[in-house]
Amino acid sequence: MKDPIITCSDLCIAYGRQEVLHGINLEIPRGVFLPFTGPNGSGKTTLLRAILGLVPVRQGKIETPFRQRPAGYVPQHKVIDPLYPVSVLQIVEMGLYRERRWFRPLTPAQKRAAMKALDQLGMEEHSRKNFRELSGGMKQKVLIARALVCQPEVIIMDEPTSELDEQAERDVLNRLQQLNKEHGKTILMVHHDLELAKQFSETVCKVGRGKAEIVKINGGQNHA
Amino acid sequence: MHDAMSCLYCQFPEALVAGLLISAVCALLGVFVILKRAVFIGITLSEVAACGVAASFLLGIPPFAGSLVLVLGAVSLLAVPAENQRIPRDTLMGILFIAATAMTILLVSKSGTGLMEINAVLYGDLILASSRELKILFGILTPALILFVAILRPTLYSFMDREGSKVLGIKTWIWESLYFLMLGVIISAASQIAGALLIFCYLVVCPATALVASKRITIVLLIAPVIAMIATFIGMVVSFRYDLPTNQTICMISCILFALISTTCWIYRKVLPISHNT
Repeated sequence: MKDPIITCSDLCIAYGRQEVLHGINLEIPRGVFLPFTGPNGSGKTTLLRAILGLVPVRQGKIETPFRQRPAGYVPQHKVIDPLYPVSVLQIVEMGLYRERRWFRPLTPAQKRAAMKALDQLGMEEHSRKNFRELSGGMKQKVLIARALVCQPEVIIMDEPTSELDEQAERDVLNRLQQLNKEHGKTILMVHHDLELAKQFSETVCKVGRGKAEIVKINGGQNHA
Repeated sequence: MHDAMSCLYCQFPEALVAGLLISAVCALLGVFVILKRAVFIGITLSEVAACGVAASFLLGIPPFAGSLVLVLGAVSLLAVPAENQRIPRDTLMGILFIAATAMTILLVSKSGTGLMEINAVLYGDLILASSRELKILFGILTPALILFVAILRPTLYSFMDREGSKVLGIKTWIWESLYFLMLGVIISAASQIAGALLIFCYLVVCPATALVASKRITIVLLIAPVIAMIATFIGMVVSFRYDLPTNQTICMISCILFALISTTCWIYRKVLPISHNT
C-alpha cells in the first residue's frame, strides 16, 4: 500500500449528544481516487468535512498535510448565492487567496494559472461570464477549477455531480479521473451511485452504522 | 435651481459634506448587507442607534456614546451563532427592532420633550448638522472606510462562501465580526444626524440600485456610493428649493433613482437585444 496522505485515528464525531461516527481508523493512500459511499445520513459528508477541519472531532485525531498546502475543496454549487455579481474568473481567483492575501493584485502568472485551471475543465471561454448565469454543471466545473488553481495535493468534493444530468456527470468524473491519473491528485468525494463509482475507481470508502472502511471493489483487498 | 444649489453650499456646507460622507460610506457597506441577505439588520441597528440617542438625551451623555453602546450590544447579540437556536436570527432582529422603536418613544416621552424631539431622534435632520458633528463623523467614518477597503477581499470571500474560505485558511469569523462592528460604529456615528430612515435608505436602496445596474462586484462597489451621493445632493437641493424635510426628500430621490435605473436596465437587457436581433 502507498504511504498514507490522510490518517484518521480512533475518530469520534458527534452533533450534540448524537454520535455520527465512532472508532474510525482510516489510512487514505496518496494518489487514490476514493468515492465515499453509503446511505443517506450515514456520515459521509460529515467525515469529509471533519477531514477538512470544518467539523470538530470529539475524540481521536486526523493527520493531514493541509497546514502546509490547503486542500482543494469543491462544495455543492448552491453554496454560492446567485446574488453575488462575480465572474467565473473571480471565483477561480479566490483559490489563490493564500498567495494574494488582503489586497495583492493578481499577477500575470496567477492569471495564467487561473485560466489554465479553467482550461483543464473546458471552461476557459466562459471566464468573463457571470457565475450565476451558468448551468449547474458549468458551475460545478468552475468550483473544481477553483480547487485546482492552488495546486492542491488533495481535492475533496461534496457530491460534485448530484444535480448534473448523466452526460455532464460522466464528463466531470472523466475530468477528475484524468486529474488523478495524469497529475497524481488524491481525490476524495461523496458519491451515491456505487455502480458508477466502480467505473472510475478501484476502491471506495463505505460509510454506515457509525463506521467507515476502505474496500477494494469487485472482491478486492480491504485497505483499512 | 442653481440659486438653491449655491445657497445650500453657502448656508449649510456642514450639512452637505456630512450628507455626502454618510451616504458614500453607508452605501458601500450596504452592498454587503444586501448580498448577505441581512437587510433587516440595517433597520434594526438604525432603530437601536436611535434608541441610544434618545437614552443619551435622558442621561445627559453624548449621543454618539449612547448609540454606540446599544448598537455594539445589539451586534454582539446578533453575532451569536443562530444555526442551533430555536428561533431564527431574523426573529431575534424583529424583537430587537420592536423593543428599540418602542423604547425610543418611551425614553423621549419621559425626557419631557415634545413631538419635534421625537421626530428629530427618529428621522434626524441632515440640514442641522453642525461643524462639531461633522468633525466626529470624519474622525469615525474615514478610518472605517479605509479599513473596509483594506479588508474587502477576505470579507467578500467569507460572506460568499464561508466554508470554502475556511478551507483556504481565511478566519471567517474575524472578517464577519469586523464588518458588523464597523457597520455598528458607522450607524452609531451617523444616526443622530441622518436618522434611522435615511441610514436604512443608504444601506438598502442605493446599493440595490448599484446591484441592478451592474453585474460586476467591483463596479457595484464603486457606483453604490456615487448613486448615494447623487441622491443626497439632489435631495438636499430639492428640499432647500421647495422647503421640504431634507431626509425624507433624499429617501424619495433615492427610490426614484432606483425605479429609473431599474427600468432603464430592464429595457436595455430585455428590449434592446430583441430589436438588435431583428
